[in-house]
Amino acid sequence: MPSEHSLDTGLTLGDVDEDGAILEAIERVQGDTRTGFLRKATIGGATLLGALALPGTGKTQSAKDVDILNYALSLEYLQAAFYTEAEQVRALRGKARRAVEVVGAVERAHVKAFRDALGAAAIARPTFNFRGVTENQREFLKTAVAFEDLAVAAYKGQAPRLVSDALLAVAVSIHSVEARHAAWMRYLFNITPAANAFDEPLSRQEVTRIVASTNFVTKSGRTERKGTPRFTG
Amino acid sequence: MLIVALFAARFTSSSTEAAEQEGAQLPAPSLPAFVIPKPEGLAGEGTASRWTTVARPVSVREAADPDAAVIASLSRQTPEHTTNVVLVEGSAVDDERRLWIAVRVPALPRNVTGWVPRNALGANSFVRTRLVVDLERLSATLLRDGRRVFDADIGVGTRAFPTPAGEFYIRSKLRSLSPFYGPLAFGTSARSAVLTDWPDGGFIGVHGTDRPELLPGRVSHGCIRMRNDDIVELGRLMPVGTPVTIR
Repeated sequence: MPSEHSLDTGLTLGDVDEDGAILEAIERVQGDTRTGFLRKATIGGATLLGALALPGTGKTQSAKDVDILNYALSLEYLQAAFYTEAEQVRALRGKARRAVEVVGAVERAHVKAFRDALGAAAIARPTFNFRGVTENQREFLKTAVAFEDLAVAAYKGQAPRLVSDALLAVAVSIHSVEARHAAWMRYLFNITPAANAFDEPLSRQEVTRIVASTNFVTKSGRTERKGTPRFTG
Repeated sequence: MLIVALFAARFTSSSTEAAEQEGAQLPAPSLPAFVIPKPEGLAGEGTASRWTTVARPVSVREAADPDAAVIASLSRQTPEHTTNVVLVEGSAVDDERRLWIAVRVPALPRNVTGWVPRNALGANSFVRTRLVVDLERLSATLLRDGRRVFDADIGVGTRAFPTPAGEFYIRSKLRSLSPFYGPLAFGTSARSAVLTDWPDGGFIGVHGTDRPELLPGRVSHGCIRMRNDDIVELGRLMPVGTPVTIR
């Protein structure tokens, strides 16, 4: 069992929260202006966990569960956006196209469930630029396998850390669904769906590094502002 | 036969008792803290349009080929200092397996479709709305998933400064600081073919007005004017990236 300190990644919130989505969630929960301080807080560190405590509970354990749920939500956001875009772009063919419709709907259901459960504590949806991967069947399937394997390993890494048995029941339920998705995508990509006798978990640090290496998380464009128009009138 | 039946009954009875005893020692499964809702398919499929941001300045080419003629250029920002966006119309892979995207470009006298490398563009977004401007009936209609959700009387360009007809899109949304434009103004990719020396390129807007008594009518320099209540309502319903048909 990893120690409490193994959640520390060395990354700061500012490193991975370019768009400010996570800080926005904290501000909504806390209603204060400690963002400058929090931006330097280490991911998974005690400061951030405390900051994510639900208002009024004051329980560190609850805050830890909230943090883990938000971590799961961030992965679900990534997967839901990936499959949804692939479905909307309509570049995939055959069985892959059908799989995208089914898996995308499930990942969106996961997102909705986590957002509903977290309420105001839910982190905001990031912006993703999949850089054309959703428009190429082979690249899409290769990435889908990687994402599903990642999700399975991430849930496996965090489920034992949940304080609440009721949340553990949810996590285990989702974990097995992600494992089915992983097998499905592996089958479509023509690799063995279940080759190992034992699956390793991945730490949050490893998952964060892998997600960051894709460069899929991006800044959203600013298409609205206040100003004096210069249209022809 | 009787022996077999008695054995079976005894075995069943004893194994049930054993299971009950064993089960009594195991905790019941934990109830989940929340339930995952039933998966639902995407809404509005078939009517969605795709748009994306311009991630870096890029030349727009006549074909999906780095040696094809340049027909326009795209910058990262609009003249209104918002992120520049383009409507996506297709994609293709070149001989070097590079992905190219067909985009609608705000050229004169009408928007044109040209090709840019995928790596010059940002995140994809999708909208399910379409704005239809009728220059004869002087009306604007917003459709969502093909169904009418908004209607308004409008003012359009005079005979000297006509509103251009064609296929365009919404590329910015400004909370207006000028009473002339009302409280809200959308920037479109349409441009006046007459006011070519207008500051910032003579782009056509969809906006409110400080002269509502002139509507409906042919009263503008090409922009689409509507009453302030209407533009506020449209602002609630119409996202950036919405395709615009002016006919």
